[in-house]
Amino acid sequence: MIIQRNYAPSALPKGTDAAALTAQVIAPLTAIVEDDAGLDGDQASTLRVHLDWIQYKTSFRDPITVRRAVDQQEQPLPLAEISIDLRHVDPATLQDQLRAAVSALTGAAPGPTDAPVILDTFRPWRESIIWPFNRLFWQQLAAWEAYAKRGFEAALPSGGSDANHPEAVKASVEEFCALLGDLDARGQLPQDIYAMEIGVGSGARARLWLDEFQVADSAARTGYYPRLRFLLGDYSPATLDTALAAVGPHAPLCSVIPIDATNPFKVLSFLRFKILFVHLTNVYDNLTFDEIARRDGQLYIVEVRPYVSAARARQIQDEFGFGPGELGAAIKRLLSYGPDFLEDHDVGMAFWTRIWDALRLEERLRAIDEGDDLHLPKGVNRSSLDDVLAEAPQDVRFHLSRGAAESFINTVALLHPRGYLQVQDIFVSNIKDYVQGFRGPGKLDGSFVTWVNGAFLHAVGARAGYHVKFAPFPYRKGSKTQMLYTKRRD
Amino acid sequence: MTALPLLPTTVIGSYSMPAWLERAKNDYLQRKVSRHDLDDMYDAARKAAIKDQEVAGIDVVSDGEMQRDNMIDYFAERIPGVQIDHVSKRLYYDFYESVVRSKLATGSLGLAAELRFLRQYTTHAAKISVSGPHALVKRIRNDFYPSEDAFALDLARVMNAELRELVRLGATHLQIDEPYYSGFPEDLPWAVKAVNALVDGVHADITLHVCYGNRYGKPSFEGTYRYLFPTVLEARVHTISLEFARRGEDDLQLFKEFEVPFALGMGVVDVKTHDVESPGMIADRIRRALDVIAADRLVINPDCGLVHLPRDVAFKKLSAMAEGTRLVREGLRS
Repeated sequence: MIIQRNYAPSALPKGTDAAALTAQVIAPLTAIVEDDAGLDGDQASTLRVHLDWIQYKTSFRDPITVRRAVDQQEQPLPLAEISIDLRHVDPATLQDQLRAAVSALTGAAPGPTDAPVILDTFRPWRESIIWPFNRLFWQQLAAWEAYAKRGFEAALPSGGSDANHPEAVKASVEEFCALLGDLDARGQLPQDIYAMEIGVGSGARARLWLDEFQVADSAARTGYYPRLRFLLGDYSPATLDTALAAVGPHAPLCSVIPIDATNPFKVLSFLRFKILFVHLTNVYDNLTFDEIARRDGQLYIVEVRPYVSAARARQIQDEFGFGPGELGAAIKRLLSYGPDFLEDHDVGMAFWTRIWDALRLEERLRAIDEGDDLHLPKGVNRSSLDDVLAEAPQDVRFHLSRGAAESFINTVALLHPRGYLQVQDIFVSNIKDYVQGFRGPGKLDGSFVTWVNGAFLHAVGARAGYHVKFAPFPYRKGSKTQMLYTKRRD
Repeated sequence: MTALPLLPTTVIGSYSMPAWLERAKNDYLQRKVSRHDLDDMYDAARKAAIKDQEVAGIDVVSDGEMQRDNMIDYFAERIPGVQIDHVSKRLYYDFYESVVRSKLATGSLGLAAELRFLRQYTTHAAKISVSGPHALVKRIRNDFYPSEDAFALDLARVMNAELRELVRLGATHLQIDEPYYSGFPEDLPWAVKAVNALVDGVHADITLHVCYGNRYGKPSFEGTYRYLFPTVLEARVHTISLEFARRGEDDLQLFKEFEVPFALGMGVVDVKTHDVESPGMIADRIRRALDVIAADRLVINPDCGLVHLPRDVAFKKLSAMAEGTRLVREGLRS
């Protein structure tokens, strides 16, 4: 067995005996593998055991999971992994779960009463069922919040969002004004001053920013405020209406633009090289991603298959009166029509929340042909991934933040030569940090959170002509948020 | 070699850089590819670039500048007296840290090899571009000369010898690239003097190319060309090549407003987008230029180098440019 620890000891609660914690799972696992598991010698010696500490209250993983590897034709490969979440493992059921995991590696099928309800085939993360669930959540946000009796931000790990922090907004305005002043001094300030926020949400941040900008401009008597053209970008027209109302007296300077965050250039190409400032908060972490794993030099894409455990499926079927075999179809209807697919809205909401809570994703590693495009997002050169891999630990699993990378590329294409992009989000800025902790996706109320591979964005940025740097969010102690800044490479 | 037609078409210099060659350049920096193998690749890519330009219908071709990492390092490495920190970059396109700590010596820059290559592989008229003194001064750290203009003038002295040698060997078309003028308009008086020192006694068709930058396929500056006038009128060149396709044609009026002693190399192809212009669109751009400048004083070229475009896009753009120009020529004849 090869044991890999995927967390930093400092992530454990104070007073935790890491050695004892590890022994608690490794000792029985070793005994099972050695004694009666049915694994052959090669399987036992090459079995990888990943010890995780998943900081989220819930995720898409069971505490003990099995991952197998397949080639491109889906034929089994020798590589197999057992992943153990030390935080959530239950000592009372540990032995049975470990035995079941090892048994699964031998190819033994679970008994008919233990078989989970499989909801789909294996697919890369970018095509998985979590995206329809995510869309449903944002479409039905008000319904979810009403049912849960709390706003979605209350479900964030920190209990709130850093999006609208007044000091952060003030600093952002100061930086922008400094740029305008410098351009003005050189006689290079365009008559129309374009700035944009993508993913405007309620419009609260845009309002704060515009208030601050107006005050700063007035105090400095620079006369920039009337020249400002502020673009509010979001995929949802309804959200844009709300945001436009929220900016109040600044509305005459604002335009609302329905855009796909992954490709702002598509609708804004007429502003190519004209926008001086673009801001995004908590957008990248909700864009599509994949995961790539490297084991013994071979690259794999992580594929996931959704399921509900047999026990949870029985509970839900009983509670909502579905017959055996009807659960999958009910979930499809939920994703298509929302909670009102059941006659009673509250019952539909209850079904949604139960399913979301029970939803798990089985993982497997599918070998990548290095001659292929490596599942790279559109517009990203293979060299960017090579740059990341060159810096990464030999055995590593990391996000390929494809939506974020596409968004980045298609946003910087709009920037004025002196313009810049500012993104507030949760980034893994050093690729080595991927072996130091779980980076998502973690479950939130009806949605999920995934860290963004900042190291990948750094490489993508370098190839696109930008230095990408990260700085901690300094305005709230303990915040996991980081700030991404761009600067043109010379 | 045949005489050039009316409205001759040309390139600014660089052609689409193949991804495989970019990887090889980076691998060379990391000692994974030998100099010999890299040079072989350069030759293959240069031949292909020349052939593409010929097939596209370009009158004055270049070798695609495949062997140049960027517009600074290629010269900084060759100018005697410029010290280079060869471990200061990982990506080929980045700039080396380079510095001048003593007076520049006079010596060959090795551009004759470029000319020989072009002569060997094309019968078309061929152009060799050099980065101008102003551009080099802005990127090479100066720890010796008392001022930027003194440094530029001495660079011009060294490079002038090279240009004269190229002409002696048969070069007919030379170009000076100055992409930083637009960011430092205040430098223009001494920058133009440096250009004149550079071309002094160089008996070839000389173009001065002034753009708004093309690093990573993006402009480095914005503004209008008005800052060039009237100072640039003192430049002793035959053509000034400017970008119009991306920026629009408002600045053409400057050629009406001032008595311009040289021809205009008009940028009619936007090199910062993959959208391929139609021949008709290009013809219209040329016709609008003809409203302010005579046909025998107009050269047709892209806005800048094609290095950042995919090969198929670069080829289609050049083909459209040649076809658009042909349409205008036909109209002028009838």
